[in-house]
Amino acid sequence: MSVLEIKDLHVRINDPEDQASREILKGVNLTLNTGETHAIMGPNGTGKSTLAETIMGNPSYEVTQGDVLIDGRSLIKLPVDERARAGLFLAMQYPVEIKGITNLEFMRAAINARRADDDQMSIRDFLAELDKNLAFLNMSESMARRYLNEGFSGGEKKRNEILQLMMIKPKFAMLDEIDSGLDIDALQVVAKGVNSMAAPDFGTLIITHYQRLLNYIKPDFVHVMMDGRIVKTGDAQLAIKLEDEGYAGLRDELGIKANLVDDDVTEAKSDDH
Amino acid sequence: MTISNAPSWFQALQERARQLYPTLALPDFKRFNYRDWQLDDPAMQPPAALTPLASDDQHFNQQAITYGSAPLQVNLTAEMRDAGVVVEDFATAFTKHGDLLQQYLMTKAVAVDEDRLTAFNLANLQHGLLVYVPENVQLTTPLQLLHLQNSTTASSDFGHVLIVAGRHSQVKVLQQLETRGTHANQFHLITEVVALANSHVTFTGLDMLSQQTTAYLNRRGYLGTDARIDWSIGVFNNGNTIADFDSDLRGHGSDAEVKVVALSGGDQRQCIDTRVTNYAPHSTGNIAQRGVILGRSELIFNGIGKIIKGAHGAHADQENRVLMLSDQAHGDANPILLIDENDVLAGHAASVGRVDEHQMYYLMSRGIPKKMAQRLVIRGFLGDVLSQLPSEELRERMVQVIEGKLKNELAD
Ligand SMILES: Nc1ncnc2c1ncn2[C@@H]1O[C@H](COP(=O)(O)OP(=O)(O)OP(=O)(O)O)[C@@H](O)[C@H]1O
Ligand SMILES: [Mg+2]
Repeated sequence: MSVLEIKDLHVRINDPEDQASREILKGVNLTLNTGETHAIMGPNGTGKSTLAETIMGNPSYEVTQGDVLIDGRSLIKLPVDERARAGLFLAMQYPVEIKGITNLEFMRAAINARRADDDQMSIRDFLAELDKNLAFLNMSESMARRYLNEGFSGGEKKRNEILQLMMIKPKFAMLDEIDSGLDIDALQVVAKGVNSMAAPDFGTLIITHYQRLLNYIKPDFVHVMMDGRIVKTGDAQLAIKLEDEGYAGLRDELGIKANLVDDDVTEAKSDDH
Repeated sequence: MTISNAPSWFQALQERARQLYPTLALPDFKRFNYRDWQLDDPAMQPPAALTPLASDDQHFNQQAITYGSAPLQVNLTAEMRDAGVVVEDFATAFTKHGDLLQQYLMTKAVAVDEDRLTAFNLANLQHGLLVYVPENVQLTTPLQLLHLQNSTTASSDFGHVLIVAGRHSQVKVLQQLETRGTHANQFHLITEVVALANSHVTFTGLDMLSQQTTAYLNRRGYLGTDARIDWSIGVFNNGNTIADFDSDLRGHGSDAEVKVVALSGGDQRQCIDTRVTNYAPHSTGNIAQRGVILGRSELIFNGIGKIIKGAHGAHADQENRVLMLSDQAHGDANPILLIDENDVLAGHAASVGRVDEHQMYYLMSRGIPKKMAQRLVIRGFLGDVLSQLPSEELRERMVQVIEGKLKNELAD
């Protein structure tokens, strides 16, 4: 049993182009226990990926206030690799391609980085585990021998993120738009992978735009993020309501001054920043 | 210094080299200045060490071991002996295969009067090795040559290796350079590979000289009609190095494939000058070089593709890439194409870059520590050249050497 706490998190982005730094997260609070599944939804550009990346420790994001803790231990000063070893995992919205390193050696390095020098996973055990997970995700063995994400289709990359998740077995997984670009079959396979992780010592934070994913991975909590804050929290019903009504209704109901990308379509009125 | 049993033609050649070298220019390597290394200064050349081979250096899978100018150890396989393969030091070869030496030593590949360092090498020559693979002999097992630089005392090392592959022969050669001892010395080695018509030489070089060694390494191929040389060279020295790797495509349809992987670290300065010249029609020369620069070191890759007038239908392609791991590293990748014929195919690509931060972040986000992530990125960068090496065994070996050197460099 572990707990991931995000406390009053403020994040700025320093745009190297125009010198201006902009506040993206404006005080996010969230508590995630293992055994729970949380979903975050929200309009484009409101800071969902920023939140996940900041929790993970992406150095491009500057934390100006607040904290991220696992079981009371602050992670905010730790580099990304230490946070990963502390139990965090982020399935990225845009996984990176690396030519020359095979998927297989990459995953083995990731697993062994968590183990003591005298307790490294043997190749045999590793391959057995890998084969099992590849089969579970309907991935061919050749995917593991290819270079890391290189030339993978969008859907293959997402599947590969889930493969890593299953191999690494973190305490907390954040899945950033794991459903984007997936066909219907792939969506089910990916959901099956995530669901197979379900355990009292595993917690999930799903970022998605589509309620459909939440039919396959049932959330205990749904949070809505707008303009750098979590503005509403509910259960799975909230996602269904949003799917029907869109964000404009909620924004106006809550009296938030935020621009939505599709304002001209929704005809909602909003003040300029 | 001269070699025993030297016949008069050799003595005359050496005398000529002595006369000539002060009048010749040092070889010029673009964007690299090594004048203060004093590679051509006689005062910097203490006499050869004659210490015998240490007992732990008996590598019995090696066919030939040279240890400074101590007597050569030769240990041929039955296959090589039966096929009449010759592996002899020059002192022996002068009496037994003097005609071969006279015919090929610095007559086809490297010319004595080419520049100051080629002449200086011959003028000071302490030891030489002749490898001859007779016509039609196709060896299955690789021929392994280990050159141990003796730095247990202050001494310079001047060596020459001449490899002649007879017509229609096939041979794989592994040449490994290592240092024993910690004195700061110079190491001069010229390796000539004469690939006669229709022969195929697979040549691998593993250079692992010590930090205290200043090296001048010249490897040169001469290719006859339809001959082919596959060069795979790992420049993993820890000291300053000038590496001049050239191939002359003299025969119609000849083909040189050059792969170079290099690592610089610490305060090291290395220049690798790789040239392929297409003299003959329908000849092919391809160069692929990858270099990694760590610490405050320097690494320059010059890739030179020359196509001489008359070399119709020639192909020349090269790709030189350098990856820098620190802000103080200095690197360059210079493709130089000199083309004097029209109906040819020539291309080049070059890049000098730093480690991709997105790649580092992705690797580290899976819990891989920074140093290991760097090692993976480096291995990935070298990977497409490593994956083209002629054998799995060699690939493993190179990876091992690279990992060893990276472990030292990324230790802090
Ligand atoms: N590295 C960056 N450099 C500059 N701006 C950034 C960077 N990362 C995010 N931003 C900006 O921060 C804001 C929030 O972006 P973020 O990616 O967190 O949104 P999101 O909620 O994940 O959107 P989407 O649903 O489209 O994925 C956007 O305006 C975006 O342009
Ligand atoms: Mg996003």
